[in-house]
Amino acid sequence: MSLSKEHLLKVYEDMLLIRRFEEEVEVYAKNGTIPGFIHLSIGQEAAQAGVVDVLKDTDYKFPDHRGHGAIVLSSKPEERKRCMSEIFAKATGINGGRGGSMHVHDLSVRNMGFNGIQGSTVVTALGTAFNSVYRKNDDVTVVFMGDGTLGEGTCHESLNMSATWKLPLIYVLINNQYAISTHYTEAHPQKQLSTWGLGYEVPSMTIDGNDIEEVIEVTQQAVDRARRGEGPTLIEMMSYRWQGHFSGDPAAYRPDGELEAWKEKDPLKITKQRLQENHGVSDAEIEAISERVETEIAEYVKFSLESPVPKPEDAVKYVYTDREVEGR
Amino acid sequence: MARTISFSKALNEAMMQEMERDDSVFILGEDVAKMGGDFGITSGIWDRWPDRAFDTALSESAITGLSCGASVCGLRPVAELMFADFITVCYDQLVNNAAKLNYMYQGEASAQMVVRAVTGGGIRCAYHHSQCIEPWLMNIPGLVIVAPATPYEAKGLLVASIRNNNPVVFLEHKHLYNVKGEVPEELYEIPLYEAHVAREGADITIVAAMSMLKFAHKAADEMAAKGVSVEIINPRTIFPLDKETIKKSVAKTGRLVVVQEGPKVMGYGAEIGAMLGEELFEYLKAPIKRVTSLDTPVPFAPGMEDYVLPHYEDVITACNEVMAY
Repeated sequence: MSLSKEHLLKVYEDMLLIRRFEEEVEVYAKNGTIPGFIHLSIGQEAAQAGVVDVLKDTDYKFPDHRGHGAIVLSSKPEERKRCMSEIFAKATGINGGRGGSMHVHDLSVRNMGFNGIQGSTVVTALGTAFNSVYRKNDDVTVVFMGDGTLGEGTCHESLNMSATWKLPLIYVLINNQYAISTHYTEAHPQKQLSTWGLGYEVPSMTIDGNDIEEVIEVTQQAVDRARRGEGPTLIEMMSYRWQGHFSGDPAAYRPDGELEAWKEKDPLKITKQRLQENHGVSDAEIEAISERVETEIAEYVKFSLESPVPKPEDAVKYVYTDREVEGR
Repeated sequence: MARTISFSKALNEAMMQEMERDDSVFILGEDVAKMGGDFGITSGIWDRWPDRAFDTALSESAITGLSCGASVCGLRPVAELMFADFITVCYDQLVNNAAKLNYMYQGEASAQMVVRAVTGGGIRCAYHHSQCIEPWLMNIPGLVIVAPATPYEAKGLLVASIRNNNPVVFLEHKHLYNVKGEVPEELYEIPLYEAHVAREGADITIVAAMSMLKFAHKAADEMAAKGVSVEIINPRTIFPLDKETIKKSVAKTGRLVVVQEGPKVMGYGAEIGAMLGEELFEYLKAPIKRVTSLDTPVPFAPGMEDYVLPHYEDVITACNEVMAY
């Protein structure tokens, strides 16, 4: 399937927004402004932007721990700067600074957040998908996961239950090749991890996760199936993370030349080429997109830097819904 | 109007009446629907509401994970763990997920779910079907552990737990299932987080939960015959603990005996003891005593299991010791 020029331009801009978001986050993580550790998704923009593009605000999204892109794009444009300020541990953050990089959520668009434990959201997502069946509506649930996630036993329980109960659940498995340092072929016997779904009679496929048109086409089919009540789909999206596991990981475990080869398959580069060659998009139009994104990102960064830090004593809020926890 | 019914029936009634009242309540678990549960606690629910009672695969993580996800959508799942011991295979969903969701969502949504867990020893089923698991959950802020001791409490606390917006692990001691008592027919709630003074007294405070309450009552009678007045506190909610009620009682009696079925290390007795040592040191007239299981797995052979579980005589010994100190 090829997308219309307008559609392709829109998702190109979405991907560029993720790329620039991540690059800025990396700068401020490396200089110590952002506390803790972060997982960047540079190189995986097509999988994230393509899936989110297909979904409605009322569909449930469980991003993965390398999911800044899916998080930002799920949010309403006016809330996106608050996704960044959350990562900066600021009071204006979308979670008031409680969650940080791994737990950014926004219930207003049903971004349910990640959980910090691999394989955890894979079973939590059963519940939001179950809710759609229980309440007889057509909202679907997408759970993002990585190749490493599949090693967790919960993936078996989840695939088994969603397939048996025909839950409207789409497993988006972004195979970026490595679980920290371990290549997926060293941890799993399959050449392609999508074969996992077949044992559960879940329609499963492996696609080029850097080709946003393919991502959108296949995701749309899975979402349509789910909305029709025909059950789950597992989509393995082959991709690659350009950075190490966390910002600062030199990724010495990767063979020479591998990164360079994948940079040739840069989703942004591929899409830009298609825009120019197939749709006659000019350099000036591409430049205008870049400028819009730069303005946007500069605003996020400024907002994040200038926002106040949360009040430390607010740490005791929200432990329970109906009782206070003692502070200092 | 109150009738005399069993602890099991009281639990069943709580779920049925809550499901009648609120269509966001549903049940799920292994064999809970068509069979009505391994212990029959959910019997009749599937017959009445086939679309709201779900038999699952043997997948405790999926059961509790689904409950987390469904509850943040506004549903009220009541999941059953056939044996509380199985909590280890879904520990992550309870500890890292359910207990954190309200914190993560800053009050916008929470894991308003109940996990009913069949707990305790004495049925000759060895160490994977007999454990008291509350210590495994007692330092997880965000979780609530509820532990009824009577049929009246079983219904009122289960109703309150279903209505509560926090994740509740609801402990059902299997030795209590056949115990009978007066239970109102209509719906009622017993508030969570409040301990119950089950008997007033002046000389010794006994804190005892679930099946241990009967030891406490028997000991109170026996000590009364010797002129010693025992006050009994039943925590009802084991975590977060109602410290004030316990402190008030011990401030009066100056003597504490905790009876808990699980091993001695790190049970509610340990927490109560430490809390009183910190906050009520000057009121204590004698060292705190704990009557517990031995620190072993629960063995199978009846003689061995009886040897390991708490002995009634030990409660009397403890009471005599705190009085003689």
